[in-house]
Amino acid sequence: MSPLALGAAIAVVTILVLATGTPVAFALGIVALGFLLAVDGTAALANLADTLFAGLNDFTLVSIPMFVLMGAAVAASRAGADLYEAMARWLWRVPGNLVVANIGACALFAALTGSSPATCAAIGKMGIPEMRRRGFPADLATGAIAAGGTLGILIPPSITMILYGIASETSIGRLFLAGVVPGLVLTLLFALWAAFVSWRRGDRAAAGAPPSLAEQLALVPRVLPFLLVIAGVVWALYGGIATPSEAAGVGAVLCLLLVVLLYRMWRPAELWPILDATLKESVMILMIIATSILFGYMLSSLYVTQSIAQWIGGLGLDRWHLLFWINVLLLVAGCFLPPAAIILMTTPILLPILTSAGFDPVWFGVILTLNMEMGLITPPVGLNLFVINGIAPDVPLPTILKGALPFMLLMVVQILILCVFPGLATWLPDTLMGPAIR
Amino acid sequence: MERLARLVELLCRLAGAAAAALIVAAVAVICQLLVVRHGLGRSAIWQNEFVTLALVAATFLGAPYVLLRRAHVAVDIVPLLVRGEARRRLGLVASGLGLAFCLIVLATSLHWWWEAWSQGHRTASMWRARLWIPYLSLPVGALLLTLQYLVELWAVATRRRPPFGGIVEGGT
Repeated sequence: MSPLALGAAIAVVTILVLATGTPVAFALGIVALGFLLAVDGTAALANLADTLFAGLNDFTLVSIPMFVLMGAAVAASRAGADLYEAMARWLWRVPGNLVVANIGACALFAALTGSSPATCAAIGKMGIPEMRRRGFPADLATGAIAAGGTLGILIPPSITMILYGIASETSIGRLFLAGVVPGLVLTLLFALWAAFVSWRRGDRAAAGAPPSLAEQLALVPRVLPFLLVIAGVVWALYGGIATPSEAAGVGAVLCLLLVVLLYRMWRPAELWPILDATLKESVMILMIIATSILFGYMLSSLYVTQSIAQWIGGLGLDRWHLLFWINVLLLVAGCFLPPAAIILMTTPILLPILTSAGFDPVWFGVILTLNMEMGLITPPVGLNLFVINGIAPDVPLPTILKGALPFMLLMVVQILILCVFPGLATWLPDTLMGPAIR
Repeated sequence: MERLARLVELLCRLAGAAAAALIVAAVAVICQLLVVRHGLGRSAIWQNEFVTLALVAATFLGAPYVLLRRAHVAVDIVPLLVRGEARRRLGLVASGLGLAFCLIVLATSLHWWWEAWSQGHRTASMWRARLWIPYLSLPVGALLLTLQYLVELWAVATRRRPPFGGIVEGGT
């Protein structure tokens, strides 16, 4: 069997195994082992334990549970609600102010965590019921949070970018900076859409009495400390003081301290849910990373990775067609696989093709992240949809999707904007860190 | 068998608590590392390695607890589409595939751990950590996952538990 035919067989078997409902981590593991055993026999198992362990034995990966903990600490407190309430008071003149406030709060929260579901949960648990109580339709309320949550992985810190940085050997600090301007542009696009759709549906002004200046300033002491934590982490990261993992660890401790001091959450019964959420999300992601590395090892040792790269290179596509099909591939993969698995399995195949076509790896990291964002709100494996379902179980999935679809189209628009103006992603890292050696 | 099921659940929860403790320890050591390096101006010797190994161990020890809480993400579109007996059979297939992976990992990691223990393997750093300690997390985690899948297969096969933890339509 040629490596390409083998690749097709692997794809079919992987889809079938995933469809049984086996957890993604174990499904990828058993497919990888199955093919290794079928082609190389039991000798292929000699390095199994070492591959799984060594795959995770990387100090950079430490940042993942740390950034998850940072988000979980804030998400467990009332901080998300305060952030969102502050935004609502400051933006009361804007049409659809509550929806816009939620999107703004998602963007701010995204800077406190690298995780999309954490952003969704932290802002959505207060935001969705409040928006619906004040008469915003369920599709707009849930769709805005599902989409706003995805800002968690575009605005730094970002778990997706950490993994891409590891897989592509690109500077994580540079990738984080590259996400800042596109993240802000996307937040603005989301907010404009939310304001427009609210205005069109008749919400021309804010309901109720306008908040007084005192009310607008009242929440500043609650929001300011978290902004200081963000500033502290950025300073540690770019001031040459700490690596991403160390900065993440300090950020996690500072967020925990703030939650204990500001929100008086110090009882074990209040702290355990933070640790529990961190454990569940981190272990889920790290197990997928471990078995994705095994899967990638299988693809590479059976010469499938190299053959696919050669095949795509031999098609003679021009660079924009190539990018278009890569985006389609990532989007389809994003519907079925979580970001960690896609990044670790596809980067070794795609990166050599993209760099030889003249694309900047840092810029592509942002494009890839936008694709992964869309995958987070598309069924069947849309992690943000799970979270929204937990917050508003009475809202059916098609309603959430209807609300989220325009935001997904805005992400496509953002990809197009970045193709036309790649400097939006590369300008900040090049200015602050000097031009990359390319 | 009911007793075994309860024992497995208890062990998975204990492993989860150990994994959570390792995460807390890792956070504490990262802070200590920064204090040592920047506050005291001394070089850090063991901290980076400890933190990394602690989190690898937390992952493998925590995996059975996360499975118990059904927090390992899965593609559940087909399980939601089928009903009754078909869903039960699909549940058995899914658990069977998970079991196969965990069993293979258990079998291979035991030998790998034994080698590190009996031959006294250590890390190549200045700290020279004994590798059998963090390595132990892989066979222990795989054993608990295997036991949990065996319990799940038994419970679903004998109709004591619904497949897929009783997922319902309307979920994603």
